[in-house]
Amino acid sequence: VKGNTVTLEKAIERATEIIASSKRLLIYGLSSTENDAQREAYRLAELAGGVVDNTTSVCHGPTILGAQESGEVTASLAETRHRADLVIYWGANPAAAHPRHIPHYIRQPGEYIKDPKADRQIWLVDVRETTTARMVDRFLKISSASDLEVIETLRALIRGTKLDVTEVGGINIKELEEIAATMMTTRYGVLFFGLGLTQSWGRHRNIDAAIRLIQDLNAYTKWGLMPMRGHYNVSGANKTSTWVTGYPYAIDFARGYPRFSPGEYTAVDMLARGEADALLNIAADPVAHFPRAAVAHLARIPVINIDPKFNMTSRLAEVNIPAAIAGIECDGAATRMDGLPLYLKKVIDPPEGVIPDRDILRMVIKSLEKVMK
Amino acid sequence: MAEHLILKNGLVFDPMNGIEGEVMDICISDGKIVEKVTESAKTIDLKAHVVMAGGVDPHSHIIGSKLNVARVTAPEVNRHSPYPATKKTRSGVAGIIPSSYATGFLYTTMGYTTVVEPALPATKALGSWEEIDDIPGLDIGLLPLFCNSMISFKYIQDKDISGLAAYIAWTLKKVGGLGVKVVNPGGTYAWAYGKNVCGLDDEVPEWDVTPRTIMTGLAQAVQELGLPHQMHFHPNNLGKPGNVHTTMQQLDAIKRVKPSGKKKKVVHLTHMAFDCLGVVEEGMANWKDVASGGLIFADYYNKNKHFTTDLGQITFGQSMTMTGDGPFQHSLYLLTGGKAKWSNIPVDVELPGGAGIVPFTFEPKSPANSVQWVGSLEFALSIKDLWRFFLSTDHPNGGPFLKYPLLISWLMSKKQRDLWLEKVHKFAVERSTIANIDREYSLNDIAITTRAAPAKILGMEKTKGHLGVGADADIAVYGFNPEKTDLAKNPELILKYFTQTQFTLKGGVQVSKNGVISKQIHSRVHTIHPELNDELSQRIDRELEDMMSRWFSHSFSNYPVPARYREHLEIPRVIDSTSIQA
Repeated sequence: VKGNTVTLEKAIERATEIIASSKRLLIYGLSSTENDAQREAYRLAELAGGVVDNTTSVCHGPTILGAQESGEVTASLAETRHRADLVIYWGANPAAAHPRHIPHYIRQPGEYIKDPKADRQIWLVDVRETTTARMVDRFLKISSASDLEVIETLRALIRGTKLDVTEVGGINIKELEEIAATMMTTRYGVLFFGLGLTQSWGRHRNIDAAIRLIQDLNAYTKWGLMPMRGHYNVSGANKTSTWVTGYPYAIDFARGYPRFSPGEYTAVDMLARGEADALLNIAADPVAHFPRAAVAHLARIPVINIDPKFNMTSRLAEVNIPAAIAGIECDGAATRMDGLPLYLKKVIDPPEGVIPDRDILRMVIKSLEKVMK
Repeated sequence: MAEHLILKNGLVFDPMNGIEGEVMDICISDGKIVEKVTESAKTIDLKAHVVMAGGVDPHSHIIGSKLNVARVTAPEVNRHSPYPATKKTRSGVAGIIPSSYATGFLYTTMGYTTVVEPALPATKALGSWEEIDDIPGLDIGLLPLFCNSMISFKYIQDKDISGLAAYIAWTLKKVGGLGVKVVNPGGTYAWAYGKNVCGLDDEVPEWDVTPRTIMTGLAQAVQELGLPHQMHFHPNNLGKPGNVHTTMQQLDAIKRVKPSGKKKKVVHLTHMAFDCLGVVEEGMANWKDVASGGLIFADYYNKNKHFTTDLGQITFGQSMTMTGDGPFQHSLYLLTGGKAKWSNIPVDVELPGGAGIVPFTFEPKSPANSVQWVGSLEFALSIKDLWRFFLSTDHPNGGPFLKYPLLISWLMSKKQRDLWLEKVHKFAVERSTIANIDREYSLNDIAITTRAAPAKILGMEKTKGHLGVGADADIAVYGFNPEKTDLAKNPELILKYFTQTQFTLKGGVQVSKNGVISKQIHSRVHTIHPELNDELSQRIDRELEDMMSRWFSHSFSNYPVPARYREHLEIPRVIDSTSIQA
């Protein structure tokens, strides 16, 4: 608390005071912790009448908005390994961001892909030549901010429309025609996309278009798509939030029931508008990742930070509570980016006095319930 | 909590014990119905109230990733239905796809106490157990899918029913299942190739299996294991006009499976409203020529006793179609002209083509929807034996479970049916015999088809679906006196009384009163643990370890749901399957 080492009980006491005296509490993060901690966070948000948001709002939020427009035709990683003969990355750099992904699922043989080098094509679409570009069979460099145009062009070509242009997004129309034809005749295709598609010009419209592209292709052959999620359990954060509250992120409990409004109850917007008067951050690092206006407001309000490590947010937080690391120092469940639930085993004991996020949150809830009585 | 309780003077409808509207006292002790309790027991006077066992719903999609996909892609279906928190209870949303807490509360206030999730991809079971932790107040069961799994195909291809049965036994134990679900056998697998199957002997890509060998093999394995609930079956060709004939062919194929125990039923055909569409005379198998298949199927049902069924009634208005039948969902999406929000979820090797989700609105003015609506009602009003049948909307496919009171009103009241026949497209009358049917379900018929029969069909009739000694004290008390209230003449009262019980008791605890939740309690999960002999058990461990390491993302040892997510919820029932030879 305020840079001094205190007992866990003292830290919980101060955290409870901050929460109890706040009028517009924001709970944020949750994507690098296990599901039980997330579920406790929703309970706390409901009790305090606050807002709860996870890191989705700054990464694949547009993916979810795109899915609200069009649905989502997803894929699974094991199926990709066994069946996919064409894998496309779009605005994603797995070589840097998901280093185990390609060696583990894409360059592995599967039941119906015996020789991944010969039987599976890997393509990359990006605006610059990234490290992944060197690993793939084909790299398509498109001009910046042209993703939506390129996707819609492919959709038009797949529907048999003749386009009176010579190039789109820096790619010759003849090449785009050939790409569309290959996508229609492949046996099983998977499109992986990253923040290059979600957070660039067009945002959720890019994703909407990509989903529609994949839906169109399913009239001819089999295709699925999958976002390359970042934090290890951000998929779990969406999942637990959705079953408990009905919505995946950006939820306000001020009226005693959950309401969903991205742009309004999303963390960056809440802070940049100066609306939140206290932050409880769990398993994320907003100070490192948020825009300046949001961080500036964070410096003005009390911050409680629960994290196993000392991060940028710790420097600014009034209360820092260290937590056990799920999958190492405590058990828990998480969700892989294709929706598969995984059990995380405990390997070693946490340092003395350090407990899991879920237990810290339960202590806060208990003491808040006492205060509110 | 009152340990002992007497419910006095209620008008009891308990068809399993032959009680039809008699004034009786019910004694409760430690969550069970007992012969008598001490004089000091708390007494509740239920004079002029209807008392039934808690409702049992063996087919309602309330758990799993498909629901989350539906909630995420269609937040608008819940936006206008908030469910506020109270001091004792959690909040949520209560629209077409209620959130977890609201799901439990809404069932409770409607008087339902047992609900089965009929489509669990076993590989995702851990998530389902976590979810159940947040669904209060119910007894829950899960039916894992086995119909498009490469492991099932391997055993069926080898004609190895022992191996198939052992795989089922292993899965039910390790992930906590109640029975076996089959969805479009072979078709969802073919969907991984962008294809489907339609005939019983169609080829399935890459494997030497057919819909016929898959459905009969699995039904046989269920019988050999002696599972209390027969194979739960969603047939091929769902949602195709004229499919009543292929559905009957499939049931004929399964008829050859020998029942192993006393129970003679070898298959449960689910949501018949979607499986039994007819066509007009000399018509083509398309939606233009669709006619009610209700009468044809009722005739088949009356003549063939090897199966049970449920309605899957469509109820008009917004719904959310979700099935493990990926190719059907895609065809529904195409039917909307590619406008609908179509989602597809492939699941490792268990459901490689994928489950599908499409929001759908059933319109009273649509000729096709009206015919589908009338077909299942015609069936329900034409069958003789109600004990092989239960009411459902295949929540949320035909409509949310909150529409059960409306469904009950159509069955109980000719007046209500006539009112609705005016609202819907004229094909409902022209292409069915509904206008000539005078039958009205009695309260006892409703008690059979919403409690007693479904409990029997699930094999849970010892403790569920009745009010005899030894039953769980799961009780619904309705606030009306049937001697003074003519429900058939006043269908609006049916909606009123069946939407909200006066009280609901779960395990002897009063969990709701007049639609308000009085106590939030944990659900319990009923599972079946078939015991295999050592030899077969060792063989299946060895073979599954090999197949899982080749095909799954989960390893053999990480596939089971860990005890810490189960033990506080699970009520396992061990059955003896040791006679199956390795």
